Amino acid sequence: MSKGDNSGGLMSSAGLVRYFDAEDRNAIRFDPKTIVAFGLLFGIGVLVLNLVA
Amino acid sequence: MGWKETAEPVLTRMPAVQRPEGHVPFRRKLGWTAGILVLYFFLTNVTLFGLDVSTQSDLFGRFRSILAGAQGSILQLGIGPIVTASIVLQLLGGADLLGLDTNDPRDQILYQGLQKFLVVVMICLTGIPMVFAGSFLPPSQAVASALGITATGVQVLLFAQIFVGGVLILFMDEIVSKWGVGSGVGLFIIAGVSQQLVGGLFAWPSLGGAAGFIPTWIGILTGSQTLADGQLLTGPGIQALLFQPGQILALFTTVLIFGIVVYAESVRVEIPLSHARVKGARGRFPVKLIYASVLPMILVRALQANIQFLGRILFSQSPAGSSAITLFGTSMPWLGQYGSDGQPVGGFFYYFAPIQAPQDWLWFLAGTAAEPWQIFIRVAIDLTFMVIGGAIFAIFWVETTGMGPEATARQIQNSGMQIPGFRRNPQVIEKVMERYIPQVTVIGGALVGLLAVMANMLGTIGQVSGTGLLLTVSITYKLYEEIAEEQLMEMHPMMRNMFGR
Repeated sequence: MSKGDNSGGLMSSAGLVRYFDAEDRNAIRFDPKTIVAFGLLFGIGVLVLNLVA
Repeated sequence: MGWKETAEPVLTRMPAVQRPEGHVPFRRKLGWTAGILVLYFFLTNVTLFGLDVSTQSDLFGRFRSILAGAQGSILQLGIGPIVTASIVLQLLGGADLLGLDTNDPRDQILYQGLQKFLVVVMICLTGIPMVFAGSFLPPSQAVASALGITATGVQVLLFAQIFVGGVLILFMDEIVSKWGVGSGVGLFIIAGVSQQLVGGLFAWPSLGGAAGFIPTWIGILTGSQTLADGQLLTGPGIQALLFQPGQILALFTTVLIFGIVVYAESVRVEIPLSHARVKGARGRFPVKLIYASVLPMILVRALQANIQFLGRILFSQSPAGSSAITLFGTSMPWLGQYGSDGQPVGGFFYYFAPIQAPQDWLWFLAGTAAEPWQIFIRVAIDLTFMVIGGAIFAIFWVETTGMGPEATARQIQNSGMQIPGFRRNPQVIEKVMERYIPQVTVIGGALVGLLAVMANMLGTIGQVSGTGLLLTVSITYKLYEEIAEEQLMEMHPMMRNMFGR
């Protein structure tokens, strides 16, 4: 029975950036997979550019 | 009603990462966390396109270990912009200038948007001088002529890449926070510091860089490396054992900080709680010594880093060959004098540079050219900055993250608990909390500041810096707690209701 650990559920453990449950309907939302894929492609793209030039 | 209405259309439309619908299984969470970590390491190894690799210097210098990222890579900025934006938000929020109520969903959206907006502003504010002023990210002439554009054109390309990198870090943090375990910022700090720590322990001399602790000692014990010409029990011999290359003191400090943080995590004031209706159901609310966690410390360090950053940018604008900051044609040695390695050796920016290693202050071992009184002032300023700054940011941190007396009182009230012997009323609980939380926060913040300065003065393995070490140990500890909690919930789905997710 450790209710004491209840941190409200909103706060991430060591986050400098806070994310809340509330979200605006107007906001653009990305799938996390899209971001990972973009990051990978961007990295590979810059690598290729470095090799070519 | 002021800025809220004006900024609302922009702030509410800030792009965000989707939230998972329903519960994410623990394995999937670990998967996302590991995936982001791999992506982070990959991106730190991608050199910027159009960068002249031969003549760059790291603007973050020794602050690199806590700001993550890597010099000359797409992630050049690391978490710097996020930290700086957070400082601004903490100061504004802590002084209650924003007028945002984080319990109101509309204000929550605004707060989130403002956070992102500030990070983007900070990416520009740090990225633009980094690329366009000084020689921190010099453009490659070869690329410029190959593409048929000017050097400025290549600089624009460089800035575009570090901008994308900075935004990527922000979204990667959001993915870990929403889909993974812990937070991205924490993860990147641990990743960077651990990498340096492992390097500092094991790096083989043939890898090119400085030899790590273990290879050095294998060398010493097998006789392939001599310490002070074999005269161990003389002054230079002991010095070689303690500092370079023996590093015994650094190992000692590193282990000591580990020990202190893990111990301090368990030091707490426990406020007894009992359930209002269910007799016999008891609990405890822990007010930890490092209550506000070590995280506010990164804000203080980042503030110091930004001061140094400003100094180096100003110095880079001075005519070549001058040793002091020159503004509008007048030399200003009182503002900052710089050595050949780009480190400040005198003036305002010298005194405000934190002590990063034993060589910075051990005047009697000829580690530095500065006078003892200069070193004394510098240590005193560093200590004051960290102790007082640590305490102030800890207070702000507690207030803005909802760990303050009022917020915790409401939480306890809402969970149906009460403090035995007191009336069941949020104001009463708040009064009791006010006796502990502010005091513990200030003591904790000041203690962590003191520890960070001490660790830096004594040196750490792999130059990870005291703050880096403190952050890594406490973030890892938190991560461990969180993983344990996750596993508990995985095994007993009923627990999920109790933890409220």
